[in-house]
Amino acid sequence: MGETQLSAVEAELYDRQIRLWGIESQQKLRAANVLLIGIRGLGSEIAKNILLSGINSLTILDDGVVTEEELLKNFLLSRSSVGKKIAEEVMVKAQALNPLVKIVSDTEAVGKKDMDFFEKFTIVIATGIKTDLLLKIDKACHSKNVKFICGDVFGTFGYSISDFQEHKYIEEQIQLKGKKRDHKGEEKQTVKVENTINYPELKKVVILPNSKQSIEGIKKKKRRNVLFFVMLTLIEFRNRHNRNPSITTKNEDLKSLQEIKSEIFQVYDIDPAKVNDDIFDLIFGEVVPACAAVGGVIAQEVIKAVSQKEVPIHNVFLFDPITYNGTEECVGA
Amino acid sequence: MTKLSAIPSILPSTTQEKVANSKVLVVGAGGIGCEVLKNLALSGFQDIEIIDLDTIDVSNLNRQFLFRKEHVGKPKAVVARESILSYNPDINIKAYHDSVTSQDYGVNFFKRFNIILNALDNRAARSHVNRMCLAANVPLIESGTSGYSGQVELIKKGETQCYECTLKLPQKTFPGCTIRNTPSEPVHCIVWAKHLFNQLFGEDDPDQDVSPDTEDPEAKAENEHSSTESGNIKRLSTRQWSQDIDYEPAQLFTKFFHDDIKYLLTMENLWKTRKAPVPLSWEQAASHRGDAEAENNVQAIDMRIWSLSKCASVFSDTVSQLKTELKGKSFLVWDKDDKPAMDFVTAAANIRSYIFSIEQKSRFATKSIAGNIIPAIATANAMIAGLVVLHAFRVLAEEIEKCPTIFLRPKSRHSKFILAADKDLVKPNPNCYVCRANPTVHVFLNVNTMLVKEFESEVLKSYLNMVAPDVVLAGKDSIVISSEEGETEINNDKKLSEIGIVDGSILKVDDFLQNYELTITITQYEKSKPEDPSFKVVGNPEEMKAKESTNGKENGQKEAEKEESDDDLMIVDEDDNVKSDDPQEGSSSKKRKLNPVEDDICLIDV
Repeated sequence: MGETQLSAVEAELYDRQIRLWGIESQQKLRAANVLLIGIRGLGSEIAKNILLSGINSLTILDDGVVTEEELLKNFLLSRSSVGKKIAEEVMVKAQALNPLVKIVSDTEAVGKKDMDFFEKFTIVIATGIKTDLLLKIDKACHSKNVKFICGDVFGTFGYSISDFQEHKYIEEQIQLKGKKRDHKGEEKQTVKVENTINYPELKKVVILPNSKQSIEGIKKKKRRNVLFFVMLTLIEFRNRHNRNPSITTKNEDLKSLQEIKSEIFQVYDIDPAKVNDDIFDLIFGEVVPACAAVGGVIAQEVIKAVSQKEVPIHNVFLFDPITYNGTEECVGA
Repeated sequence: MTKLSAIPSILPSTTQEKVANSKVLVVGAGGIGCEVLKNLALSGFQDIEIIDLDTIDVSNLNRQFLFRKEHVGKPKAVVARESILSYNPDINIKAYHDSVTSQDYGVNFFKRFNIILNALDNRAARSHVNRMCLAANVPLIESGTSGYSGQVELIKKGETQCYECTLKLPQKTFPGCTIRNTPSEPVHCIVWAKHLFNQLFGEDDPDQDVSPDTEDPEAKAENEHSSTESGNIKRLSTRQWSQDIDYEPAQLFTKFFHDDIKYLLTMENLWKTRKAPVPLSWEQAASHRGDAEAENNVQAIDMRIWSLSKCASVFSDTVSQLKTELKGKSFLVWDKDDKPAMDFVTAAANIRSYIFSIEQKSRFATKSIAGNIIPAIATANAMIAGLVVLHAFRVLAEEIEKCPTIFLRPKSRHSKFILAADKDLVKPNPNCYVCRANPTVHVFLNVNTMLVKEFESEVLKSYLNMVAPDVVLAGKDSIVISSEEGETEINNDKKLSEIGIVDGSILKVDDFLQNYELTITITQYEKSKPEDPSFKVVGNPEEMKAKESTNGKENGQKEAEKEESDDDLMIVDEDDNVKSDDPQEGSSSKKRKLNPVEDDICLIDV
C-alpha cells in the first residue's frame, strides 16, 4: 500500500470528516507536519483538534513549566505535572487523542531556534509569543512557503492572523444543471473552482507604534473593525511587559492598557471612544470556552491551509468578547 | 492560602459563586457533549450530570475526544464521566446511561438543575427536553452542528422562542410510485434497495413494496383494469416467495431486475416522457465486462463505483449471507454499519440505477444517503461547545438578554462572518403549538381509514413528539387513547370514525410526562394524489398568513434538520447559495418560504 493510501483503520476512524472534506483532503492532512508553538489554554485546544483531524506529525514546542494555574486550564495535563516541563507533560494525553499521529515534544525556547528549524514543517502555529520573534518566524516561513498562523486568547477576546503566502484552494460550488425542472428533478452538479489568495507578510499586518513599516495601507480602509486595534493593544502590552495582563495586577495593567490603547489609536487616527474601556475588563486570563471557540477556528484554518480546500480566513480573525461574533478582517493585503 | 479556582476571574464575583454552586445537566455525550463537559470541568463547574443512551462507535473517535479505541462498545455517559474524573477527581459528576425521554426523568428531575445544556442528535429528544424545560421553567441551551455549520440558542420560557416555535421540516419523502416505478435519482434506487432488504429479510411493512405499482395515476389512463388488483402484480408476499425458492440469488435477481422491469415497460404511459428502463438478466449482469477488480484496498472497494458484474456477485453473496443470518430470527434490522446489509443495498441500488440509466454511486456515497449520515468534525463542535458554556455563564448571571442565538457558518467569499450572533433574543411565537398558553393544532386526516394506533404512533408520537399521550374526545368525555397499559388497547385497530372521531371533532391530548396539553381539531381530508401525505398538521389555518408576513423571515430561514444523525442540525441561511441545499437534507430555505404550511409527514424512511 502506497504512502498516500488510507488504511481501513483510518477510513473508519475518519469516516465522518472524509464525508465532509473528501479523501484528497484527508490524504493531504495525513502528509502534514505541524509545528505548534505554545501548549497552554489556546494551544491545547488547537492541538486536540488537529490531532483528531489526522495529520502526520505534531511537534509541540514550549519551554514553560506547569503551574497550578495552568493545570486548571489545560486538559492535557495531570496533577503530577506541576513543576515539570509542559511540552513533555502533555504527551500522554495528547497521544491518546490519536495514536496514529507522531508527536514530538520540544522544550527548547522558541527564541533559540535557528530560522531553518521552521522550514521542515508544512505549517507553523504560534501562540503566546512576542511580536519581534513572531515577525522573524513568519519571515522565515514566508520565504520557504511554510504556511503560518498565529493567535491568542485574552480573557474572552481572541484573534488569529494567517500568512498562507500565495494560497491556492479548491472551493466546491453546487450549481444547477441547466434550467430548473419541476421540484422533484432539480439536477445539481458539484463544480470545483480554484481560487488564489495572496497573503501579506505579518510585518504588514502587525504594525505597532515606533515601527518603520508604513501604516497607510491599514489606515486607508474605512470602517475597520475596531477590535483589530484592541488586538494590537494587547499584543503591545505583552511586548512591553513580557507577559499577558494578569488579574492579580489588574488595576496597574488596566492603566497600562489604556495608555497603549491611546497611543495606538492615535497612530491610526481612530476615535478612542469607538472602544469602550470596559472591554479591557474582559481580557484577563485564558477563558477556557473562549479558547475552545478560537482554537476551533484556528484548527479549522490549519486544516484548510493544509488541504487547500474551502475558503480560508483572509487574513485576520477577531472574536468579539461581548457579542461573540467571529469575523474576518482583511488587513495589509 | 486561597485555593486557585478554574472559574474565569473576569466573571463578577456573584457569577463566580453561581458557577461554583450550580447544578448542570448535559443531555448527550457525543461530539458537542464531550466538548461541553470539558469546558464545564475547566471552568469550575462542580456539580454535573450527564445522560446519554448511546454506546461508543469507532466513527465517533475523530471528534468525541473523551473516548478512545478501547472504549468502543461502552456507554458514552459512563466513559465521559470517567474521563472527566481522571482529569479532575474533585468534580461531582453523575452519569446516566439512559434515554432522556424515559419516564424516569419527569419534570421534578429537570427542576433540580439551574441550567440544562442540550447536545443531542435528533429532533424527538430535542423536542422532549424542550417541553421538559418549559414545564420545569429551567433555562435550556440548545446546540447542534452539521459539517462546518452550527448553532447555539438559549430557550427560556416566556422570553425566547422555544425549540418548537419554528416549523421543522420533515425528512424528504418520495412518492411510492417514484420509488416503485419511475426512479430518476440515485436516492430513489437506494430507498428502493432498502425496501427490498426489508421485503426479503426485514420486518413486514406494506408501505415498502418494491414491485411495480399499477395504481400509478400516470399509468392508469390506459390500464383501466388495474384498480381491481390492489396495486401489486404478485399476490403472494415477496417474503413468502423468497423463502419458497430458498433465496436463490439468480431467481431473485431475475424477478426484481428483469421480470418486474419488463412489467413496468407495459405501463407505456410512464415512458412517453421518460427514458424507459432496460430489463437486465442475471446472465447479462454476471458476465458484464466491468473494470478489473485488481485493487483490494479501502479506496477501491469503498470509493469506486462497482462494475455491474461486481454488483451482481455482491448481490448474490450478500443474499446468501443474510439468508443465513435470518435463520432462527423473525427478521433482520437494516443497519448501515452491518457489512452484508450495506453491501446488499449498494449492489441492489446500483443495479437498479443501471437499469434506469441513473448515475451509479460508490459504496461510500451510498452509505451517506442510505444511513442519513451527517458529517461531523471536531472543530465545529469545539466552537459551538465553547459558545454554549460562554452563554451558560451569562444565563447563570441572569443576563439572558445577552444570549442571542449564534450561528456558525462555513467561511464564504461573500461574508466576513464565521460566527454570527443575532442582535436580540427571538420572542416566542404566539402561535407555537407547544409554548403558548392553551395550544391548539388542526390535524387533517381521513377518519375513515386511519387507525387509532396509527394516529397515536404517527401523529401524536412521531410527528408531535409526545411520549405517553392520553386522549379524550371532547363532548363525549370518552378516553380514546390512554398511556396506562391495558386501558384502551381494544381501540387500537379501530378506525377513528368507529370510535366517534369525525370531521370537526375536538381531542384533548395530555402528555403527563411532558406536562403538555394540546387541543387537536380534526378535519376530514382525503388524499387526492397518491404522493399526498396521509395527514397534515397546521396551527390555526387563518393565522398562518399573518404569521408568515410578520414573522416569516425569522422563522422561515432558520433551520432544517434531519433525524438520526451525528450532532445534527443544519442551518439554512437566507443569502446562502445552493450549497446549503444538501441533497440529504431535503429542504431549503426557499422551499420553506414558499410552503410554510406544508409541514408534511413522511412515511417513507430514507
